[in-house]
Amino acid sequence: MDSSSSSSAAGLGAVDPQLQHFIEVETQKQRFQQLVHQMTELCWEKCMDKPGPKLDSRAEACFVNCVERFIDTSQFILNRLEQTQKSKPVFSESLSD
Amino acid sequence: MAELGEADEVELQRLVAAEQQKVQFTAQVHHFMELCWDKCVETPGNRLDSRTENCLSSCVDHFIDTTLAITSRFAQIVQKGGQ
Repeated sequence: MDSSSSSSAAGLGAVDPQLQHFIEVETQKQRFQQLVHQMTELCWEKCMDKPGPKLDSRAEACFVNCVERFIDTSQFILNRLEQTQKSKPVFSESLSD
Repeated sequence: MAELGEADEVELQRLVAAEQQKVQFTAQVHHFMELCWDKCVETPGNRLDSRTENCLSSCVDHFIDTTLAITSRFAQIVQKGGQ
């Protein structure tokens, strides 16, 4: 997106590969943490009514289900949208404007 | 950076356009997740049941229909206003 930043860094080839690797690893970690945060936010709402003195098995099972169903849901919506994009290309056009 | 040939430039543009398409698609999935998760998933069970699946389908479809309806309504208004 930002062409000025890459061209000012004396060309892409000059980037230290070690640095590049480090950044990739850190970005991966960051993404993972973001995902954990997002899941906590979503599933806390769904599974925690009144926090008791310990995490009971019902809430624990709910958390497991919540994360798994979140993944299922996202997969489901992805497939659904892929279908829609084929049948209603107008929609994706109207969003890109 | 070295000058790009015309063919390279076309190829690069195609690549960027394809990546932008992917980004946009991912953003759409995220958006729908936010909307439809709250509407359709009450207490997460041990599998995605058919009721939830139906709800998700309706959620996505109706959102798209609504967007299209609103878009065309706006277009109508703009057309009328322009005359």
